[in-house]
Amino acid sequence: MNLQSAIIVSNLYKLYKKSVSPAVDHISFEIPKSSIFGLLGPNGAGKTTTISMLCGLIKPSEGKITVGDLDIEHDLENIKRIIGVVPQDIALYPTLTAYENLKYIGNMYGLKGADLTAKIHENLKIFGLDNVADKRLETFSGGMKRRINLIAGILHQPQILFLDEPTVGVDVQSRNVITEHLHQLNENGMTIIYTSHLMEEAENLCTDIAIIDAGKIISQGKPKELIKQNNTENLEQLFLKLTGKKLRD
Amino acid sequence: MLRLLSTIQKELLLLMRDKGGLAIMFLMPMAMITIMAIIQDAPFRDYQELKIPLLLVNNDTGNVGKQIEVGLNESSIFEITNKKIVDENVKKAVKAGEYEIGIIIPDDATLSLNGNVQQFVSSKLSEVGLSEMPKELTNASELKIQILFTPDTKPSFKASILSSLKQSISKIETQFLLDFFTKELNKDNPEAVQSEKLKEFVTFNEINTLDTPQEALKLNSVQHNVPAWTIFGIFFIVISMAGSIIKERDDGSFLRIKTMPGSYLTVLIGKIIAYLFITIIQAFLMLLVGLYLLPLLGLPTLVIGSNILGIVIITVCTGLAATGFGVLVGTIFKTHQQASTFGAVSVVILAALGGIWVPVYVMPELVRTLSELSPLYWALTAFHKLFLNEVGVIAILSYSLKLFLFFVASLSISFFYNKSKE
Repeated sequence: MNLQSAIIVSNLYKLYKKSVSPAVDHISFEIPKSSIFGLLGPNGAGKTTTISMLCGLIKPSEGKITVGDLDIEHDLENIKRIIGVVPQDIALYPTLTAYENLKYIGNMYGLKGADLTAKIHENLKIFGLDNVADKRLETFSGGMKRRINLIAGILHQPQILFLDEPTVGVDVQSRNVITEHLHQLNENGMTIIYTSHLMEEAENLCTDIAIIDAGKIISQGKPKELIKQNNTENLEQLFLKLTGKKLRD
Repeated sequence: MLRLLSTIQKELLLLMRDKGGLAIMFLMPMAMITIMAIIQDAPFRDYQELKIPLLLVNNDTGNVGKQIEVGLNESSIFEITNKKIVDENVKKAVKAGEYEIGIIIPDDATLSLNGNVQQFVSSKLSEVGLSEMPKELTNASELKIQILFTPDTKPSFKASILSSLKQSISKIETQFLLDFFTKELNKDNPEAVQSEKLKEFVTFNEINTLDTPQEALKLNSVQHNVPAWTIFGIFFIVISMAGSIIKERDDGSFLRIKTMPGSYLTVLIGKIIAYLFITIIQAFLMLLVGLYLLPLLGLPTLVIGSNILGIVIITVCTGLAATGFGVLVGTIFKTHQQASTFGAVSVVILAALGGIWVPVYVMPELVRTLSELSPLYWALTAFHKLFLNEVGVIAILSYSLKLFLFFVASLSISFFYNKSKE
């Protein structure tokens, strides 16, 4: 086992029921510890299925996943304690206040009392939401909801954080706060696995990337090195070169 | 435990802030109880105190006609109209359904009965040599009372009415016989034997089977509608419960919860406990409506009996059945619209079958058989038994068990449905 890897994926394969072609087709990769790993690909490439298998939400048809030195098949409960997930949807309760939402999430991770309250207020302050802690989420703007959604994923200070399109549909200011804080978390040792369609953001944020298409990893490495190897100017050009310009469903 | 308590708290907060949901859960059953109890008050009274309309044509001027009339009045089951009309018109009125029964007493009823009794008594006394048979009485005609029924009268009803009439006539006949025997025996010595009013040697004494000294309860509008619409309100929580499950699935909360440590079952139990708590509050408030609000509107006060433990058990089991059904609907249907439509329609159908709208005993036999499959029927029957019959906990255990098994079955189907979708 490579002690420098946060996640090791070996020969991962997923074929859904009633499906002819696999969603993920025998992929293998390693995510270095304390990296920001971008899993990039067009719609329907297999990103969500891969992330779902890494979080333990769905079982692989074949292959092996190790998260933080733990085998996902046997240690899922322990893995759940060290990972955080920030889904693309605002998976929170609109009629609860920001504080009530975060308190519920914290309790679900076993956090409670003054420690939890302090953590909630600390995070709300970092993301500029301390003054709206007692306001209902339904009154928040899209950017504010995204920031709360992110706090809900990091409140319990996970070692590994999964982010699915964390900045989609938010204004520049909110996006800036989010990416800045992600850098901060990464500097403190958190491994971040990130999916996005925003190539510029991925290029600036990620230390490592893998491009996936039709369930297979077609390229993997440091963004700058890959751009150079493929004689392209940026990640977007590289992405189009590797995945083609054909429209996807 | 922290996850469980936190989920209960979260669900209660969500429920309390859902104004529309609260209106459906509390105001709707409260309004239904009040409106239906008022609307059904008169029909329930009519049904309970129904009298059979009877047209009596008493052509007799003597005692027999009068005594038959008194006997019919004393039975308290007839609404008697006295008329002096010809036989043909009696037939027309009964045939047209104006009266359920028509009775025509002939003008020679007293004379005829007297003659027959005299003939019988004289014949018996002459057989033993105590009297001579008077020659003028040998041809006394038989007393014939005409009785008419509407064409659609059920044979069993006809038989019971005829039996009741025969009993009355028989009593009059016996009294006449006794009087005449006395008279014959006293011919030579008028002071020897006194004629007496005929005694009843066998009487029926109706015993109140309730422990309380109150008058035996009848299923009136309040006794029916309060538990009925309380149960309906409890089951309407299916829509909120299913909606909550679908919403969590749609907005990703369900997946977020599944990435957290611990079993999803804990979260589901927390949700069920929160909704169960709401159903218990619902039931409590609806009983208060029956106890305090409806009497203010001129309706009878709800009688809940004395078995509080039984009421708690059946309320909890009804709440569990409703929340379990909510989980099932929320699991199977993909959208909130589908779930709310199916949830509402299914609860209305189960309510109709279960006797919520109208009592099961007025339904056709086929529907009565189907009723026994409705969880709302199990709950309503148990409430009626507790309120009207004052039964113990044992008597409602079978209904409680059925409701609990319905809850378990709903959760099991949901579990296996989810498994099959993975």
